[in-house]
Amino acid sequence: MANKSVLFKVKRQATPTSEPYWEEFELAWRPGLNVISLFMDIAENPVTREGKPTTPINYDSNCLEEVCGSCAMLINGKARMACSALVDNLEQPLTIEPFSKFPVIRDLQVDRSVLFENLKAIKAWIPIDGTYALGEGPRVLPQVQEQAYELSTCMSCCCCMEACPQFNESTGFVGAATIAQARLFNMHPTGKVLKDERLKALMGDGGIQECAYAQNCVEICPKDIPLTKSISDVGGDVMKKAILDFFRT
Amino acid sequence: MVSTAQSARNTASKGVAPLRAGTGKSFLLRRLHSLTGIVPVGLFLLEHFISNSEAINGVAAYNSQVKLLTGLPFRLWLEIFGIFLPLAFHGIYGVYIWWRGENNVIDYPWTGNWYYTVQRYTGLIVFAYVTYHIWYMRFAGVHLVDHYDAAFWKVQNELSHPLALGVYVVGVIAASWHFGYGVFLFAAKWGIVTGDKAQKRAQLAGIALSVLLVIIGLISIYSFVAKFPKQQRNPAWDQPAESAAPAEQSRAIPHSIPSSRAR
Repeated sequence: MANKSVLFKVKRQATPTSEPYWEEFELAWRPGLNVISLFMDIAENPVTREGKPTTPINYDSNCLEEVCGSCAMLINGKARMACSALVDNLEQPLTIEPFSKFPVIRDLQVDRSVLFENLKAIKAWIPIDGTYALGEGPRVLPQVQEQAYELSTCMSCCCCMEACPQFNESTGFVGAATIAQARLFNMHPTGKVLKDERLKALMGDGGIQECAYAQNCVEICPKDIPLTKSISDVGGDVMKKAILDFFRT
Repeated sequence: MVSTAQSARNTASKGVAPLRAGTGKSFLLRRLHSLTGIVPVGLFLLEHFISNSEAINGVAAYNSQVKLLTGLPFRLWLEIFGIFLPLAFHGIYGVYIWWRGENNVIDYPWTGNWYYTVQRYTGLIVFAYVTYHIWYMRFAGVHLVDHYDAAFWKVQNELSHPLALGVYVVGVIAASWHFGYGVFLFAAKWGIVTGDKAQKRAQLAGIALSVLLVIIGLISIYSFVAKFPKQQRNPAWDQPAESAAPAEQSRAIPHSIPSSRAR
């Protein structure tokens, strides 16, 4: 078909406090379109399907190759990266919404700083700062490197949190990504020095205990990070610590 | 970034709070909820299914199982600390957990998410069913602690009502599922079974346990309803504990109530 078109609607919101509204768009189809390229076309000529002039759609994006984690949004009701969402693989009309569990800043751009706060709370880093050179760190076994690598591919997109039934304002659950990062840094021979503090942090309100194993995180993760395994793994470490603390402190 | 003044005005999207590192009691309560589901509530459930399946062997076998259980030393303490309190905690805290979950199985209709949803709703069903079941079997009507020999009759009489039968079938299926899948959840959350393949196996094992319990439960119900003849109510069972003689003698000793002689 020569004049195939792409039909989609976007849930928009001008400011963090204003009411959201829907706008419908129709664009000419061309091969290889993804959701971000739809937005780029709209920015070039911002008119709705009815021909009404509008503003370009606001959204986060950066790498456009599914490694930066910026352009996560709800596409046809599911959390995913807009850059890797190919229009030809999606049912039309496309429904595009911002994440539902994060405060909207404008249109599809949301405030995901809760993940940054969570990563700080579990000390998701390897402490190497000091007043003098400590020399080379301990060697990391290749088997450990392999396990650590897949965890290190987390791009903070927050899809696992958006799709989690336990991640909500009532539980304040920390989410799978943070727990997987705790596992990553606990695995590192130098990072291990903070292991106890990380596990203790994860025992706080909103911690690992709020996981109820719906397993949406591992299904939705665009990087295929073994999130449920990480939660069980760290869950075991947390239990060991809790039991040891009970008998030895 | 949203300023605090703005977020305060917009209550609809204030967002999820970050981790409250190292504070609060929810870890203890949540893990206690998980533990009580296995011990003692789950263990009691297994005992209960096995004891009730004595009904397969007939009226006398069932009643003598009830005699054994009601005659255990420290029965009241076992009931309070082994059953009532842990069950109440697991149930009440479970309702709180259900209330805080934001079910999204319509948007994400994956198997694990279905199991998550089913675990929540079977929990609610079982809590309502068990509350009724305990009230009726333990506290209402003929008191089985005083009259163990009324046990088979009491269950059979209850199940003769079609609505009650339906409630019991639903209750047995919901309790079996909730426990069987709960064993898998316990193993996953406590870090006993961690790997993907191992968790698949554990999940299957949990579901197999559920199915086994459903089969045992339904056979037991069938034994009450259809396998054995209808039992008659013994008027001696209406006597309270203090005045009634020990249950096995109650039929031999003449009673002041004429109807007890008439039978």
